[in-house]
Amino acid sequence: MAFRRKPLRFWLGRFVRNFLAWVAIAFALFPAAFVLGTSFDPVQNLRTARIVPAQPTLENYLYLFRERQEIHFPRWLLNTVYVAGITAALGVFLCALGAYAFSRFRFRGRRAGLLTILLVQMFPQTVGMVAIYLILQTLGRQVPWLGLNTHPGLILVYLGGAIGFNTWFMKGYFDTIPRSLEESALVDGASPFQAFWRIVLPVARPILAVVFVIQFISVYSEYLLASLILKGMEKYTLAVGLQLFIGEAYNRRWGSFAAAAVLGAALILLIFYALQSQIISGLTGGAVKE
Amino acid sequence: MRRLLAAPLTSALAKGVALSLFDAVALYFLVLLAWERSWLLVGLIAGGLLGLNVLAFSRRLYPFRYLAPGLFFLVLMVVLPLVYTVYISFTNYATGNLLTKDQALEVLTQRYYLPPEAPTFTFRAYGGEPGVYALYLFGPAGRYVLVLPDRLNPPEAHVLVDADQDGVPEAVDGRPVLPLAEVARRVAELQKLAVPFGEGVLRLTTLSTVRVYARQYAYDPVRDVLTDRQTGKEYRAKGGNFVAADGEKLDPGWVTFVGLANYLRFLRDPLYHKAFVRVFAWTVTWAVLTVVLSFALGLGLAILLNDKTLRFRKLYRSLLIVPYAIPAFISILIWRGFFNFEVGLFNRVLAQAFGVRVPWLTSPFWARFACIVTNVWLTYPYMMLVSLGALQSIPEEMYEAAKVDGATGWRRFVHITFPLLLISVAPLLIGSFAFTFNNFTLIWLLTRGEPVVEIGSRAGATDILLSYAYKLAFMGGRGSEYNMTAALAVVIFVLVALISGISFARTKALEEVSRGL
Repeated sequence: MAFRRKPLRFWLGRFVRNFLAWVAIAFALFPAAFVLGTSFDPVQNLRTARIVPAQPTLENYLYLFRERQEIHFPRWLLNTVYVAGITAALGVFLCALGAYAFSRFRFRGRRAGLLTILLVQMFPQTVGMVAIYLILQTLGRQVPWLGLNTHPGLILVYLGGAIGFNTWFMKGYFDTIPRSLEESALVDGASPFQAFWRIVLPVARPILAVVFVIQFISVYSEYLLASLILKGMEKYTLAVGLQLFIGEAYNRRWGSFAAAAVLGAALILLIFYALQSQIISGLTGGAVKE
Repeated sequence: MRRLLAAPLTSALAKGVALSLFDAVALYFLVLLAWERSWLLVGLIAGGLLGLNVLAFSRRLYPFRYLAPGLFFLVLMVVLPLVYTVYISFTNYATGNLLTKDQALEVLTQRYYLPPEAPTFTFRAYGGEPGVYALYLFGPAGRYVLVLPDRLNPPEAHVLVDADQDGVPEAVDGRPVLPLAEVARRVAELQKLAVPFGEGVLRLTTLSTVRVYARQYAYDPVRDVLTDRQTGKEYRAKGGNFVAADGEKLDPGWVTFVGLANYLRFLRDPLYHKAFVRVFAWTVTWAVLTVVLSFALGLGLAILLNDKTLRFRKLYRSLLIVPYAIPAFISILIWRGFFNFEVGLFNRVLAQAFGVRVPWLTSPFWARFACIVTNVWLTYPYMMLVSLGALQSIPEEMYEAAKVDGATGWRRFVHITFPLLLISVAPLLIGSFAFTFNNFTLIWLLTRGEPVVEIGSRAGATDILLSYAYKLAFMGGRGSEYNMTAALAVVIFVLVALISGISFARTKALEEVSRGL
C-alpha cells in the first residue's frame, strides 16, 4: 500500500507544481502575447482585435514608418535612444571618476561625501519637479539649448539623478580591484589619471556595462520629467509620445499602438535578456532602482 | 634634459590657456545672468567657477578633480531642487504671485482707464504695403503726426500734401491716405498702440479716433499704497498683493514669504485638507498592498522555482520575469487598454462569459483595484528574484536539523525559511515601498488619478501624493499652485526620510557603510 501511494503523491505534486508555474506564466505573458498578436491585425479597435488575426498583415508596422500627423514613431524612438544613450554614457564616465576617487584616494571630507551622496540619493528626484522645471526655465532664458523643451536640458536633469546611486555602486566594485594593478604603473611615473584611464577602467568594464545598461533602461522608461520638460511632437521621447498617441483612442488606434509597443519594448527586451544575470544582480543588489 | 622639462611645461601651459578660455566664457554668462538678476544662478556659477580654478591648481584638493564633474550635476539637479523646493514651500509662489514686487508694480502702473474728459483726436491712416506708416491726428487738443509704432511729431516735421486744403492731408511723407476698409483690415496692428502723451497714453477707440487714456493707479512708495485714480480707492501692500480695505485684491501680486501658511492649508483649508487626507490614506494603502501582494506572489513563485526536482526551472524563470523586462510605461498603457470599459479585453471576456461589465477605471473601488493588480503584475518578478537569491543563501543545515526534529514542510517554512528570508529581504521591501509610494508613472498612465470623487477638488480616487502634487502645479484649474506642490513635496521628503530611517535602523546599514568607508 505504502509502496504505491508514494509515487502517486510524487506525480501529483509534480503536476501541481508545473500547473501552478504555467498559470503564473500565463498571467505574466498574456498582455505581451495579446499585444504581439493584435499588432498584426489591421483592425484598429481593441474591441474586435484578435490575438490570432483573421488576415495577418504588417500594415500596423508600416504605418509607424510613414509620415503621419499624430505619430512620429521613428523620431520618438531616436529621441529616446539619443537621450538615454548620452545620459548613460556620460553618467558612467562621471560615476567612474567619482567612484575612483572615493575608492583610491584618502582625503578630508571623503566619509562625509559618501554619506551625503547616500542621503541625497534617497530623495526621489521627481519630487523636486517644480524646482527642476523652474531651474530649467531660468537656464533656458540664458542658454536656450539647455532650457525647457530641449534634449540637452533633459539629459542634464537625468545626469543629476544618475550620479548618486551609481557612484556608490561602482565604488563597491572598484574596492574589489586590487591596488597592486595600478601601483606598478604609478611607480613607472604614470599619473593617477593615467592609471585610472588605462588600467582601472578596462578591468572594470563589466560594471561599466551594467551601469550603462541600467541607466539606459531607466531613462528609456522615464515618463514624469520627460513629459514635463518636452513639449511638441518633434521632441517627445517614446514614453511621452505613445501616451499622447493612444490617449483614449483604444477603439481606433489599437493596432498601430500595439505595433509601436512591440517595437518599443523589443530593444529593451533584447538588452535585458542578453545581459540577464548581470542586470538582475545590479538591480536586485542592495537598492531598488527601477 | 630639455625634452624632459618640455612635456610638463607645455601641458601646464595648455592647462592655463584652456582654463582662461573657459573662465572667459563663464564670466560672459555671469554678466548675462546678472543682467537678468538671476542671483541664485549667478551665485551658483560664480561659486562653481571659483571652485574650479582652485581645483585646477591645488595639490591638496587633487581628489576633488575627479569628484567635481559628477558633484556638479548632483548639486544642480538634485540638491538645488531640494533646497529650492523647501524655499518655495514657505512662499506664496503661484499663479498671480510669480513676479517680484517691482515687476508687479510696473505691470499695475502700466494700466490705463478712460477718464470722461479725455481729449479725443480724429485720425487718418497713411501707408500701403507693408502696413500703416503713420497716423495724422487732429482735434481740439492739437495736430500731430504719429509715426508707428510710437513717435509723436508736430506736423511741421513731415512732408504733408493737402491739395484740397481741408486741413487733412492726402499724403504724409509720400504715403497716401488709406481708405476706412483698409484701416479696418489693419485694426489688430493699430490696437497695439500705446503712445505716451502727457500724463497718459494715446490708444485706439474707434476706427477713426484715438483718445488719451490716464494711468489707473498712482503709487506712493512712502506709504506703500496704490491709489485708483478713477475711484479713489486705496490698496495697501499686504501679503504679496495690493489689497483694499474691503478685501479686494489687485492682480498680479508678488512673491513673498508666508511662513507655514501652505502647510497649514493642508491641515485647515477644507478643500486641501480633505483631499490631502484621502490621498495620503490611499498612497499608504496602495504602497502596502502592492508590496505585500507582490511579495507574496513573488515568494510563492520563488519557492516553486527553488524546488530542485522541477524541470525547466531556467525557462520558467526567464518567462516569469517578462513583466520586469518590458518598459513599464508600455505595459501600463496596455493594461489601461485592457481595463477600458467599452472596448477593453477584460470587459469583453466578462461580457461574453457572464454578460456583465465592470467600470474598471470609472468607479473609485475598481480603479484602485486596477492600480494594484497592474502594479503587482509589474512588481512580482522583482520580488521573485530577490526571494530566489535569499532562498538560495539559506544554508541546507538549517533544514537538516528541522527534519530531524520532525518539522513538517509548512512549519519549516514558518519557523525557518520565512524569518531568515525576511532578514535579508526587509530592506528591499522597504525600498520597494518607498518606490511605490512615489510611483507616479503607474498612476498617471493608468488612471491619471481619476475618477473624480469630490467636485472642486483636484485629487481623484487614485491620486497618490506625487500625482496630486503634479496636478496642483501643472494642471490648469486654479492655475499653478507651485507653493502647494512644494509644501506637498516637502511632506513627501519627510516621509521618505522616515521610511529610509526605519530601513537604516532595521538593517544597521549605516554601520555597514561605516565599515565600508
